[in-house]
Order: sequence, then structure tokens, then C-alpha cells
Amino acid sequence: MSLLESETGKRRLLSIEFPVIERYNEGRDPTYRIRLARQGNGLLLRYALKPAHNVYEMETRLVSSYPVVPPETRVLTPLKTCPHLLEGQTLCLWRQGSTRAASRWDPARFTCVFAIQAAWRWLACYEIWHETGEWPLPEAK
Amino acid sequence: MAHLFQVGVGSGGMPVLDMICRDASIHRVTIVEPDVYKPHNVERHLFALWGVGHSKADLARRWLLERRPDLEVCVLPWDLTDPGRQSAFHEAIEDADLGVCAADNEKAKYHFDSLMRQHSRPWTLGEVLSGGIGGFVHCFVPSGPCYGCVASFLKRTVPVDNSPAPDYSAPGGPVWETTIPASKASIEAIASLHALLSLDLLAGREPSFTTLLWTLARVPGVFEEPFRPYRFRVARAADCLICQARPTPSSLEELDVALDQALARLGNA
Repeated sequence: MSLLESETGKRRLLSIEFPVIERYNEGRDPTYRIRLARQGNGLLLRYALKPAHNVYEMETRLVSSYPVVPPETRVLTPLKTCPHLLEGQTLCLWRQGSTRAASRWDPARFTCVFAIQAAWRWLACYEIWHETGEWPLPEAK
Repeated sequence: MAHLFQVGVGSGGMPVLDMICRDASIHRVTIVEPDVYKPHNVERHLFALWGVGHSKADLARRWLLERRPDLEVCVLPWDLTDPGRQSAFHEAIEDADLGVCAADNEKAKYHFDSLMRQHSRPWTLGEVLSGGIGGFVHCFVPSGPCYGCVASFLKRTVPVDNSPAPDYSAPGGPVWETTIPASKASIEAIASLHALLSLDLLAGREPSFTTLLWTLARVPGVFEEPFRPYRFRVARAADCLICQARPTPSSLEELDVALDQALARLGNA
């Protein structure tokens, strides 16, 4: 069912996703706030992250079948080719597979802001990898 | 006299439907299945070779009526998540006594769960693991955990997959995923358990567990012993983002207004 068309999707947005975005934005410098826009039957979140030295422009898509299907996050700022980076500079965060056992995304516990925090951690790893050549976290199982 | 609402009559769903409908307590069945029977289905399916090219839902209807001419069978040959067909699904579920989910994708399972909770109907779900190494049968009741609670619990506590991690040295490369089909024997073993638990639930005998995992093979690192049952009583999670009620506008009109206002506010954050 579509996120923006079904009653279930709308209630999820109004009761869970929007309140956590508003809490995230509260008191934050406007440069780093999450901005929302409709994209088809889903939503596009635009924001910036600064894990250490650099500012990265980011985009997270909540597709129409979100939250069953995980959010897709990509970095708009050009990056060096590195591990854990998929086509279109999409971060490899949850895409281990489509089955319940293989996917790391949990729609009963995670929100879109959790995905943004995961992206922040990914970027922190990227900056360390950029300096040392070593990805500081273990491979996903 | 009971009405069964079943989604999915593929290789796993059809034997469940057949076994449940042999029970005299069933007088009406609604089948939701959009797929067509294809040549590669024949190896693991109850339907004959001549059925290739026909709708699976129509073949299921014919199968049932050849054995139970007294049965009332309604076919809804649509995708459960099709937004344009929801009123027909709601109408059927409102009249049903039990839901049986034999869908093979997460989107349909979550949507089935949502429909069943909206109508406060009990339901069951069967899942055969890749390669036929075992399977799950889950039983859901209106006051119990939702599919999200159960899936989240199993994801954290019951590993059933030891497939290798993706090859990170080749960014953008294919993501490895198990595609080993299960044998008909393993599918039927799990389907039998699924049918038994469904009939129990229909008869008002709620099992003492939410989830039954039945191993069918020894898989080092996953299942150390074949033919072993594991029962899990999963509690409804107090912080579940799927089933725990949170305040939102009651009417659909108010919901749309609130959504537009929130999008305008957050679009200009």
C-alpha cells in the first residue's frame, strides 16, 4: 500500500515519522535540518550531515512501500569510490536481501531518522577510510 | 459454519487451503491470488500440467469444488496491496472467521496483518525457508502481537540464514541472495502444520505459542538438528511502530488536512 495514499501510510507518517523529524529539526541550524518533499507516492528527505571535517549533502527516499521497504539514502556530494557504496552513490545500509532474514531493516523499530543516523555513521566511517584505507566497522553479516 | 479468507494459492498456500477445506466446518472460502499458473510451478504444485496458463485462483476454486461441491468459493484475482481493490478485501474480511496468509513477500504480509487487525480477525501465516531446511507457522489473534512484533523478534533472536555477506570489494555488484527452491515434501510438511494450527485457531483452541519453527534439515551454524520444533511466545511489543496506537485524526478528511499541513511545515523547515 502506498505511503501517501493509504490510511495506514498516512497514520504512520503523522504519528511516527513526522514527529521524529520535528524533534530532529528542533533547535538545529537550518543548514542541517531535514526538508520534506513529495516524490510520486513517496517522500524525499533532503538534509546535510557533518560527521567530522566535511559537510555532505544528502537525500533519503521513503518509497511508496515504506516502511516495509527500507529507505534509500544517497550522498549528493561527490565521493571517492569506496566499500559499502552502491550505484548512484547510494549507501549500502540495509540491502543485504529482500527476505525478512536477510534484510537488516526493521519496520517495527526503525524510523526515517534512524536511517539518517545510520547515514551519519556511514559518513564517519568514510572519512576514516579516506584517511587510513581501512573501513572501521566489521562487514555486515 | 466458517468463512476462510486466504491470500496465496501457490505451492505453499494450495496444500494449506486443500487441507483446511476438507474440514466440514468450512462452508465459505475467499481466495485472493493474482498469479497465473506457469510451467515452472508444476514441479511443486498440486495442479496438473493442463492448468498451465490458467489463473491459480480459478484452478484452486475448481480443485475445491471437485472435492467439496457444497463449498461456496469466491475468487478475488487481485494483488492484496492493490489500492483500487481494498473495499472488496475489507468486505470479505469483515465476513470471515479466519485469515490464512500464504503470501511470499513482506509487503503483502504486513498488509494482510494490517487488514486483519482492522477487523479484529485471527489469522495464520506459513513460511517455508529457502532450500526447504524448515519453516515457520505463526498464529495471530486480535489482542496479541502483530506481524511487525513477531518479525522484529525473530530477526533479533532466531537466525535462519547463513548466506555470505555481499561482496563489498565490488561496489554496485549483485547482492547475493539464496534462491534455492524448497522441495515439495518440505513445503507439504510445513503446510500440514499450517493447516493444523489454522483449524485449531478456528475451533477456538488458541495455541500456547505465537510462532512454531520446525527444522527439516541439519544446517551447520543454523539448525544443529533436523525435525526439531521450537516454539516462541512473542509478546506484543510496547514500542512497536506497526501496531501500537498513537493519536492521529479520526476522520480521513482530517487526516489529509493534517498531512498537507505537516508537509508544508516540514517542506519549509
